[in-house]
Amino acid sequence: MFLAALIPTANCDGSPDATLVHLLLQKDVNAFEQLYDRHSRPIYSLVLRILQQAGTAEEVVQDVFLQLWRNAAQYDISRGPFVPWLFTLARNRALDTLRLKSERQRRRENQTEELPPVASTPQYEQQLDEKRRAEKVRTVMATLSPQQKKAIELAYFEGLSHSEIAAALKEPLGTVKSWIRNGLLRLKEELQATR
Amino acid sequence: MSDCAKFRELLEAYALGALDAPERAALEAHLATGCDDCAKALAEARWLVSQLAYLAPEAAPSDMLKGRLLQTVRAEAQSARNSAPPKSAIPFWMWAGVAALFVVTIYSAWNAQRLQRDIQATNQKAAAILQQRRDLEAQLEAAKRAASIVTDPASVKIPLTSTDPQTPPLEVAWHSQLGIVLTGQKTPALSGNRVLQLWLIPKAPGGKPIPSLTIRPDADGKFVLLVANPPELMAQTKALAITEEPEGGSRQPTAAPRWVGGVS
Repeated sequence: MFLAALIPTANCDGSPDATLVHLLLQKDVNAFEQLYDRHSRPIYSLVLRILQQAGTAEEVVQDVFLQLWRNAAQYDISRGPFVPWLFTLARNRALDTLRLKSERQRRRENQTEELPPVASTPQYEQQLDEKRRAEKVRTVMATLSPQQKKAIELAYFEGLSHSEIAAALKEPLGTVKSWIRNGLLRLKEELQATR
Repeated sequence: MSDCAKFRELLEAYALGALDAPERAALEAHLATGCDDCAKALAEARWLVSQLAYLAPEAAPSDMLKGRLLQTVRAEAQSARNSAPPKSAIPFWMWAGVAALFVVTIYSAWNAQRLQRDIQATNQKAAAILQQRRDLEAQLEAAKRAASIVTDPASVKIPLTSTDPQTPPLEVAWHSQLGIVLTGQKTPALSGNRVLQLWLIPKAPGGKPIPSLTIRPDADGKFVLLVANPPELMAQTKALAITEEPEGGSRQPTAAPRWVGGVS
């Protein structure tokens, strides 16, 4: 049902990741090592940015890759690309750790073992390679106002809600909502224009 | 603004995890209705949000992390291999094929035997019917020939009178080309397996009686005996006689004649 669907589809036609994840089903250690080499740096960067502590970040990255190794069959690659799914998995684990560590809120405590839903690559993004996309994302976000960028980063890297961000920035709730939505729409438009 | 348009505005924030509880609950309720358009838009929103990961400053994990991971993964892979059931040298599908072939073979052999038995039984029935038909045809032919002899004006009628005045006479019709027909009505019952035998008494002096066919009358004493090829010519025969003989007949009379008739 899941990894069986790794056979190339509209979303992942024969990509190296699709092949490697497929091999994970057969407990292929070499495939796992290749996936780690391809994605451990951006994953670690993301987790470290959220947790701000190298040791804890490595523990989370270790959990993420072990979860991938042990539960590869739960990832339905036919429904979405691999890298965004892995980012989402890593972000969720890092935010859960952050929340548990700070004991600020435990609303996702029961979701710790859940795998994230898949994302769907828009048509306009399928031709853009990963490195160019990373540069594009950074460039676009740099054009936003500092407050707008801060609001998005608080939501993404710290897992804050609209109202929590509004409180943190001491800005009206509606303003925060507009910043975040408009910022993401701007990113979407710029990525579309990159085609 | 339609419901979908209203919820579409929330999708990016929902994918980001930034919606507060009331908005999140309302959107999730809408998604639970199975709105395909919103579900598709949400998948794209998730992809868009995932791209924010690239905002993180680039960093690299320690080599020790990779070493620890590979050590764990190799151990688990080895454990999985050890606990996996041994693979049969012959795959399951091949066993299934062999079993299916065996069943088909057994069935074919059984079916062939059954067909052979059916064919044998049918052949036996056909042979019996054919024999029955031949017998009937022979009987019909004999009856026709006997009728021809009896009704043909060229036949010579020879009455055979009994030595017992109480016993009805027998009648003989002798056609020189078709043969002899001997008929009887209400003849006395014969004892045991004994039969009546026809004898031709030659004209030649000292000639011995020539044996002909035998017959056993039915329960009413009726019989018709056809002698298609008489052992002697009519012109050389002085008389006809009937004796009572053992079953199968005799080469020479073993009893005195019970019916006698002269051939004129």
